[in-house]
Amino acid sequence: MRREGEIYVVHRLLDEQICDSEGRRVGRVDDIELRGNPPRITALLVGEGLYPRRLPGWAARLARRISGPETWGSNALRIPWEDVDDLSSTVKLRKKAEDLGLGEGDDPQRWIVRRLPWN
Amino acid sequence: MKTIFKIALGIIAAIGGFLDIGDLVFNTQAGALFRYDLLWAVVLGTIGIAVYAEMSGRVAAVSGRPVFDVIRMRLGFGFGLLALIASTLVNLLTVAAELGGIAIVLELLFDAPYSMFVITGAIALVLIVALLPFGGIERLFGYGGLVLFVVVATVFHQNPDWGAVAHGFVPSLDSSTLYLYFVVGVFAAALMPYEVHFYSSGAIEEGWTEENLKENRLNALLGYGIGGVLSVALVIISGYLFHPLGVEPSDLGTVALPMQGAFGETGLLLALGGILFCVGGAAIDSSFAASYNLAQFLGWEWGRYQGPRKAPRFTASWLVFLLLGIAIAQSGINPVEITEYSVVFSVVALPLTYLPVLLIAGDRSFMSEHANGRIASALGWIYFAVIVVLSLAAIPLLLATNGGGG
Repeated sequence: MRREGEIYVVHRLLDEQICDSEGRRVGRVDDIELRGNPPRITALLVGEGLYPRRLPGWAARLARRISGPETWGSNALRIPWEDVDDLSSTVKLRKKAEDLGLGEGDDPQRWIVRRLPWN
Repeated sequence: MKTIFKIALGIIAAIGGFLDIGDLVFNTQAGALFRYDLLWAVVLGTIGIAVYAEMSGRVAAVSGRPVFDVIRMRLGFGFGLLALIASTLVNLLTVAAELGGIAIVLELLFDAPYSMFVITGAIALVLIVALLPFGGIERLFGYGGLVLFVVVATVFHQNPDWGAVAHGFVPSLDSSTLYLYFVVGVFAAALMPYEVHFYSSGAIEEGWTEENLKENRLNALLGYGIGGVLSVALVIISGYLFHPLGVEPSDLGTVALPMQGAFGETGLLLALGGILFCVGGAAIDSSFAASYNLAQFLGWEWGRYQGPRKAPRFTASWLVFLLLGIAIAQSGINPVEITEYSVVFSVVALPLTYLPVLLIAGDRSFMSEHANGRIASALGWIYFAVIVVLSLAAIPLLLATNGGGG
């Protein structure tokens, strides 16, 4: 259940650790999507493609030049707010990481099998 | 009864794991150059690490958050990244210094070239980490390091002028820049940030909860407190033996010589063995610290308890940090010099990792009734002020004294 009380978004939500429904650590809240008027949180944004926009101006431009633009679905993911289960300690999701496209970097299959040159 | 026994074992491991190559080098040099005059700075640093470790261990046990988790939350992405880069560089230098230390001791024990032993030592560490569970790794090196109490025995054997020793515990400020440089060095060697990165992540590796808070307090106060006795003993024995002779210890082997003087071959072997366990344990702690920090900052799965299958990125990054450490240690730079740089730069990076822990430890929304009380809070802020002053002074002093060379 989503908590209805007030939270300080930047204090308690931004940069928080995200865990999937199995308790695996699958990334951090790299940015937050707000929509509407008054603004409501509609999604959590996760992925290394979002790092440049978190840096101060000059560093952000430099980081974009190096890493290229953010590509939704590969280096930046959108986790709909409906999939957030609980915020009491870490951000707990309702689904497994695979179902949301998260945590691929820690998928042993990908490390052991797919990375080998003959595959 | 069983829990008391378990807690006692943990404290003993903390005592044995207290020293690393930075303490060995800086404390011995401090004694040789200034006799007992810097003992107060050793005590100041030891209390500092106890305060900081207790706080970060408490935060980890209560909120499940290790240091770099907290850093990213409190400093945000930009400053957090700065803290990560600074800490990683310092930790890498430390890994290299400790690997170099292992190689020096093996070289002295087995009479084969240094460069061969850097790699042999690193392979041995990988095997130990692969085969032993987390608690086993900690205990192996912690108990092994206890052998270094031979230094304390040597101090009593030589029976120095205790009045002069006692006088060294009174803070005194000499105006010479070299003295001030060693105040920073001795303090920073006791307060190396990797110790706290490792300690707080270790609390989560071992599944600590609020029930372990007593254990945490005893580990930090007694474990690090008694561990500090070893540092004090190093300064005293070096001040007693090397200061009158004007010897300036520039390699790790010299650290062991007073024990040979007192107890012959056995003393030397015990000292070298103790040093080997201390720097070996610190090599593991500092390399783990580097990968804990990276994984926690980026939100990866991490931990020795997860194993390489569940935390492949963490495991791979650990191996990469170890390889980089080997590369630096093999570069031909004297490990004692690498040690000095790692210690002095660590104090520069320290405020960035210390402040977020202090803020979270005092935050009731995370810590509820376990938030910093008045004493912990006052001590915490006093130490923060000390750390900021020393971190600002560190680089100018390093340059002014030509890296402690005078």
